[in-house]
Amino acid sequence: MSNKLSSSVPTDREVVLGILNNSEDALNKLYAGYFPMILQFILNNNGDEDDAKDVYQEGIIVLYNKIKGGDFELSSKLKTYIYSVCRRIWLKKLAQQSKKTNNISDFEDIVSTEIDLEEHEEKDRQFEKMQAAILHLGEPCKTIIQDFYINNLSMHDISEKFGYTNTDNAKTQKYKCLQRLKKLFFQS
Amino acid sequence: MRNEIELESIIEDYLNGKLTEAEAIAFEQLRLNDPSVDHKVVTHKYFLDSLKEYSNILDLKAKMDHAHGQIDVDALSRKLGPHPSFIVNLWRKNKSAIAVAASFILLSVVSIYSIQQNTEQTGNVKLVSMELAKIKNSQSNLIRKINSNNSPRNIRPANFGGTGFALTSNGYFLTNLHVVEGADSIVIVDNKGNQYRVKVERSDSQYDLAVLKIDDGVAFPGLANLPYRLKQNGIGMGDEVYTLGYPREESVLGQGYVSSKSGYGGDTTQYQVSIDVNPGNSGGPLLDQDGNIIGVISAKQERVDGASFAVKSKYIQEIINTIPDDSLSKKASFSKKNVLRGLNKKEKLEKINDYVFMIKVYK
Repeated sequence: MSNKLSSSVPTDREVVLGILNNSEDALNKLYAGYFPMILQFILNNNGDEDDAKDVYQEGIIVLYNKIKGGDFELSSKLKTYIYSVCRRIWLKKLAQQSKKTNNISDFEDIVSTEIDLEEHEEKDRQFEKMQAAILHLGEPCKTIIQDFYINNLSMHDISEKFGYTNTDNAKTQKYKCLQRLKKLFFQS
Repeated sequence: MRNEIELESIIEDYLNGKLTEAEAIAFEQLRLNDPSVDHKVVTHKYFLDSLKEYSNILDLKAKMDHAHGQIDVDALSRKLGPHPSFIVNLWRKNKSAIAVAASFILLSVVSIYSIQQNTEQTGNVKLVSMELAKIKNSQSNLIRKINSNNSPRNIRPANFGGTGFALTSNGYFLTNLHVVEGADSIVIVDNKGNQYRVKVERSDSQYDLAVLKIDDGVAFPGLANLPYRLKQNGIGMGDEVYTLGYPREESVLGQGYVSSKSGYGGDTTQYQVSIDVNPGNSGGPLLDQDGNIIGVISAKQERVDGASFAVKSKYIQEIINTIPDDSLSKKASFSKKNVLRGLNKKEKLEKINDYVFMIKVYK
């Protein structure tokens, strides 16, 4: 393929440090830097723009978890790693849709990413389990749980927001909600 | 209820490191003393971690969607999308796909044909199968029910069949306990059709083993020296093994490999082997490449083909040890030299076949 990608790409060190420091700027640069590469790969291998977005975002999550996991060693170039992960994810999706996966047009080198992806699949299952559990939880529980555990609001804020007469009532409500969520999560 | 809420908020504080040092020590003590509290802490931690993970990924996805919005995807697609010349490539790809499809169809026709051939045979065997729900529900013991009476010497037909093999040359045999359990009388038949009445000498319900002995007063000519020996060590996954048994009136060879060093549900007294065994194989010897006995076929997993279980030879030795030494002559043991070494497989099997017997049980 003769189309060389010309978008500006941050250096590998910048990306790793940026991710470790939760820098949103680094994420934006990383995202914009390698998206064309994956788009090119997917478009030329039976996929469309939406497939490219899904696969690329999944690939970035794998990279994030690996860097955040602390055991990230730059054994290959970041570009090669991202390409390999996304390639593997896409091939798997193609296989699931029983589309043919021979004669893949490749644009970059490939490194083995099997172990990382196995871990990712496990995490992804957990994510979907939690998503389904929260979806089934219903209001006001959903918002209370999200406010307390995800948005880190205090019990005091929550009792004001929902108009509970005191924090104890809010606590009881939160406890009941959490029990239900746990039940949904562990039973699914 | 109140206490539960308190406990959970303490657990949460503990996990978040918000307890004072003294409180934390007291709480750890409580965890040690009360397993139910400990269990709650562990589940809660796992749950909170999952929730945290979930919110992190949610957050990351939102940020990535934001970043995605900044990219002009359409323009990029036009630049990077498949080139017209790709049509030629596509056609080439399809050509090979058609080749793959054609060979797949050919393969499936062949395999369907061979499956049909196979099912005809196993269908007949399954007709005479019978389950005895004895050891474990999901294990089916391999006792064969004999419907036909083709031995003129018996007035009554035998009800059940199994397999056994010689432990000594003077009339001791080993089989599974479930083959002979509850029997009124037991007869062993050698491969020439000679029948001898036997009785149960020893039984071990733990390992499902039984030692049979020629009944007093029955003229038993004795056997030549046993060609095989017991082998306990050095057996591992993937070792090729085979068994001889009587799923029908003739002895039948089954071949496979050790697929696990533990049996059903992690039972370490058994091997799992990949041999397809049929009712009537119970009690047959499990032999390795050199003709050493490494176990006794005892059961197969229901509805799973090719997963059979064999009691390890170690437990054969244990049951032999319970029989007084002076009544055993030339017994099978772990130490004797293997006379089969060096023979080819066919010669080995021919020799061993003389020491494997059909067991008929009348109930």
